Parts: sequence; C-alpha cells; structure tokens
Amino acid sequence: MLVANRGEIAVRVIRTCREMGIGTVAVYSDADRGALHVRMADEAVHIGPSPSRDSYLVGSRILAAADRTGADAIHPGYGFLSERADFNRACRQAGIVFIGPLPESQEAMGVKTSARKRMSAAGVPVVPGSEEPFSDEKEARAFSDRIGYPVMLKAAAGGGGKGMKKCERGEDFAGLWQTAKRESMSAFGDDRLYIEKFLEKPRHVEIQVFADESGNTIHLGERECSVQRRHQKIVEESPSAVVDDELRDAMGRVAVDAARAVDYVGAGTVELLVDARRNFYFLEMNTRLQVEHPVTEMVTGLDLVRMQIEVAEGMPVLRQDRVERRGHAIEARVYAEDPGRNFLPTPGRITYLRVPGGPGIRDDSGVYAGWVVPHQYDPMISKLLAWAPTRDQAIDRLRRGLADYHVHGIASNTRYLRALLDHPVFRSGEYDTGFCATYAKDLLQKADPALEEVALVAAAVAAFRRDHERAEERAARVGMSRAAGSNWARQGRMRALRGGTP
Amino acid sequence: MTAYVALLDSGKREAAVEVRPLGPGLYEVTVGGRTRRVDAFQHDSGTVSLIVDSASYSVQLDERGTEVRVHLSDSLFPLEILDERRLRMRRSPRRFRVDGRQILTAPLPGRVVRILRRVGDPVREGEGVVVLEAMMMENDMRSPKDGKVVELFVEEGQAVEGGARLASVE
Repeated sequence: MLVANRGEIAVRVIRTCREMGIGTVAVYSDADRGALHVRMADEAVHIGPSPSRDSYLVGSRILAAADRTGADAIHPGYGFLSERADFNRACRQAGIVFIGPLPESQEAMGVKTSARKRMSAAGVPVVPGSEEPFSDEKEARAFSDRIGYPVMLKAAAGGGGKGMKKCERGEDFAGLWQTAKRESMSAFGDDRLYIEKFLEKPRHVEIQVFADESGNTIHLGERECSVQRRHQKIVEESPSAVVDDELRDAMGRVAVDAARAVDYVGAGTVELLVDARRNFYFLEMNTRLQVEHPVTEMVTGLDLVRMQIEVAEGMPVLRQDRVERRGHAIEARVYAEDPGRNFLPTPGRITYLRVPGGPGIRDDSGVYAGWVVPHQYDPMISKLLAWAPTRDQAIDRLRRGLADYHVHGIASNTRYLRALLDHPVFRSGEYDTGFCATYAKDLLQKADPALEEVALVAAAVAAFRRDHERAEERAARVGMSRAAGSNWARQGRMRALRGGTP
Repeated sequence: MTAYVALLDSGKREAAVEVRPLGPGLYEVTVGGRTRRVDAFQHDSGTVSLIVDSASYSVQLDERGTEVRVHLSDSLFPLEILDERRLRMRRSPRRFRVDGRQILTAPLPGRVVRILRRVGDPVREGEGVVVLEAMMMENDMRSPKDGKVVELFVEEGQAVEGGARLASVE
C-alpha cells in the first residue's frame, strides 16, 4: 500500500496496514524527510520539493513511486489528491487499486455545484445557492446582491474550509472573492467559486456512509461538527445533541440515497446543515476518509481504514442492523498555532512532547519530540479523542487528556480547547457554527493571577539552575584545557563525563 | 544569592525574584517581599515538580533563551527572565517604544500573497499591511501603530523567511 499523504493521516493508515500485515510505502517532500510517516513505513520514496504543488499534489510522481516500489494500491488519505478524479483514473489505468470510490462518483460530487444539482434532482433538500460556479466576480456579486447577505463564498472543487469565506455585506465582497480564489487555487489547484445563502444559526452535522462494490450502502450515524474557527472544524462529537433516533434515521436515509445516486463505493461523508427548527439540507459529499473519522470509530468500535481496504478487496460491508453505537466520543484538533497571537501558525521545532494516556483516550498524531513542524503544510499536529459512556464524562475525559498534553518549542491551542470544552454553552450542547466567533473572548482565558507568584518562582529556579550548570561546565572546560592541550583528548573526556553522548 | 528580573505582559511589568540555594534542589525564593522555601524536583526536560512551603505544583517550562512559557494548571505565563547583567544589556541600547519608525517583520516563514497598503497610505494600529500565507492559511500582518506606510520591502508572491522585514510604518 502506498500512502499518498503525510502527517497524522499517513501514520493512521500505516497503523491499520501493519495490523493487516500489508507492507507500506511512504512518500515525502524535502521538508518531510524526517517526518513520522517516513519513519514508520516499510519503504519511502522522495517525491519532490516542499511545496505541496511540487510534491504531494503531483500525481505522476506518486504513480512513479508506486511503480518503483511495486505498490499495487494507493490510499490517498484526505486533502491533497484524495478527491481528484483525474488522479483516481490514472491509478486505475496504471493497474493500481485506488482506495476510494470510482472516478465518476468523485466527479459527480467533486464539482460542488453539479453535486447540488444532482442531489436536488434526487429529492435531497439543498441550501439555496448558485447552480454553477461563477466565471466572473461581477456576476457573482450581482447574484449575492439578489439572494441577500450574508452569503458563503465556496470553492467549487473544495472542502475542509479552504477557499471558504462568509460575506456579510456587499462592500466586503471583492476582497473576500480574491482571498477565496487564491486559497482555493493553492489548496485544490482550481479557483472556481460558487455562492450559497448563509443559514442563520446552522449546525454542521455529517453522516458517515459506507458502500461495497455490490451496492450495499449503510450509514454509521452522525458526527456533530459545529465547533469551527475560520470554517475549520476544531471539535467534533457523536452523537450530536440535536439528533435523536428519528432524525438520525431520516438523515441516514438521505445520506444513503445521496451515495447511491452516484454509485458510491467505500467510505464517504455526507455533510448536512441543520437549521434551528431541525430541518436539514445537503451541503456536500466528501468522497474520501474524513479527518474526524475516529469519532465514528470510537462509538461504533469499527476500523474505517480496514473497512476501506476490505471493500477494495471486494468484501461486503456489514449490514445496517449490525451497526452498533455505544456511548459518546469527542475529538479535539491540536494545532501548531498561538491563540494568544490571533491564532498565528507556529511552525518550528518541537523540543518536548508528552501525550496523554489512560482510560478512553486516543491520540492520532503525526509528530514527535525533535520534529520541526514545516511551514508549508496544515498546522494540525494531532487529534486527541476521548470516549466515555456519557457526553459529560467524555468531555471531562478529553479535558483531562488535554491538560496532560505537553508540546514545547512551539505554541499550541490546547489551553484554548480546554476553555472551549468548559464553556457553559458548549456543555449545554446548544451551540451552532457561530459558537467560536460569538464566545471568542471567553475562550481566550487570562492567566490566573493567583498563580503568578508560583510561575515566577518556577522560572527563577529554572534560570538559576541553568546559569549554575553553565558556570560549572565552563569551569570544567577551563580546568581540562589546562590539564591537556590535545583537542581529541579533551573531547574524549567531555564525552565520558556526559555519559557517552557526543 | 542571585537576583533576577522577570518581564511580564511583553515587558510592560517587571517583578524582582531572588534565589538563594540551600542544598540540592532546595531554595529560598523571594518574590514581592515574601520569602518561601522551595523544593524543586526536575522530572524530565520540561517538567518541574515544585513544593512551595507545602503546596505541590507540577509546572511545565518551555524555555527558549531568556524567554520562558510557564504552564501551570490552566494558566500560561509567557515571561522573560533576566539576571542583572542581561537586564543592563537589554536596557542600554534600545528600549521598547512605538514612537518613530516601526519595522513590521514576518513572525514566521511564508509567502506574501497580497499587499494591502502601499507606500504613503495611512494605516491605523491593528490594520493589516500585508497578507502572509503560511501553513495553508492567510494571516494579516498588522501595523503596530497609527501612521503611514513609508517603505515596503516585499512584493506580492515573494517567499520570505521568519524575521524578514515586510514594511515600515511611521
């Protein structure tokens, strides 16, 4: 299996392959030579310079790597080439199994506007918006003026919040249009945009679907993904507080219909918007594994990557009535970013890393202590999950896990995530996609002044120790250079003194 | 005895701390006129267990030169800790000020995707001057003061290193 991705998702796929006894090939760019996925795979092939458009997005280089290593299957992960029908087709033409649906299904869902049209025709409710991507900013502006603000500008080829902007007023349109176009081009190599009406107080709820080659299509329930910053999900959970059994069945049926309408095979996610009255609308279908798939794994006990591989091997999916859901799972995305500095990304060396363990905790990480988080890629370094019998216990558990999550050398958002999990509105379950923006101030907690004195004591004692050790080292060096003039002898002695480390 | 000065709130506040070693891992520390007996045990590179009088704390220290981020319970204290010599060096050549010309630098490597203000344009404190794309997100680089853009050191599309000069505002 060649894993055409990097970071935590490449590591995730390699883990299941290892459990199944399948050999793995990693691919890597210049910046990723030392990355965890390269270290873990059985083979690794360099595919180009650091920018993803010169490496992870170049299908021909990935196919060449597969050819060189004799890989007979490619797992695309998420992002990068995972939803590119042309790459999917090229794999099949090269006689390589692409772990995902047919290229035709990806094409049908890939251009978000044609997917909307198709779903609408199949009787699935869709959010009002443009039928086609706009070729021209003026037309798009005129359309937005007509349907009324706020509107969402979205990448036609997109997903994952890249190239997505909420526009509140006509005056802001031009700037947001340009930004969304650029982000979309850099993330997907395609800058076509379309417009959707923005629903008030929407919740983002998605349904995991799975289908085999015989057309058996099931759903594995929902994931609630309304906690978002800049249209990036940061906390996901299942079950959703607004979804009861009846609504889950209804949404599940719609999601299965949507998958069937495009002859879907493998793992897919149907994203829905749920309004304040619990009406739901089709948003898009992601024709790949989703970042937050472990939430579903924890409530169902299934391994979605294993299921993807089994389906690709021609095995049937389990029957809908065999899907069991138990307890509550919740995920928080740990990012290399500094909430105290307007969430500026913080690439750089991780000098120290300690991750939590204990009951019901899962850490899907792509980094290690000593790794330099590159500035060329997404800032997500890990996903931390907790499972517990109830929602409250799962939240408490995740909060405890985040308190035990220590990343040094770069700033991370773990404290922000803890404040979020503690927020009374989040705890109540009554939140929508506006949650992070509405309560932004509450989530940036100030340091507790009562602890400042202890912090000062700790910093001063550490500084004292460091200064003291340095002074001793200096004294030792001076003493030795007097005793023996030879550099080699001195180096040898220094090594012996430090316990053998060079 | 060693005397330190801690700079808090990006240098807006100072606190004096004195450390007197008593024995292995044992110290007497004076902060704000109060002296406490401190037992410090280093667990691993980042974690220190502190027993201050009898209260027990697990403290995470993320040190980078004189800058240290102290994680304690749910609080984070970013501070700088300097001894007298370093404090003198810091104070003599330049002090923190926002009057006069300010240089806007890239806090991280990335690519300049858009110039929002041209030379001569007025700009208010906190308004974006250039947009830097890093880690697949666009980030506004904001002016540190009210004034006018007097120089631009970069062009749209240019890749920059962390610390690179972007613009100056006066």
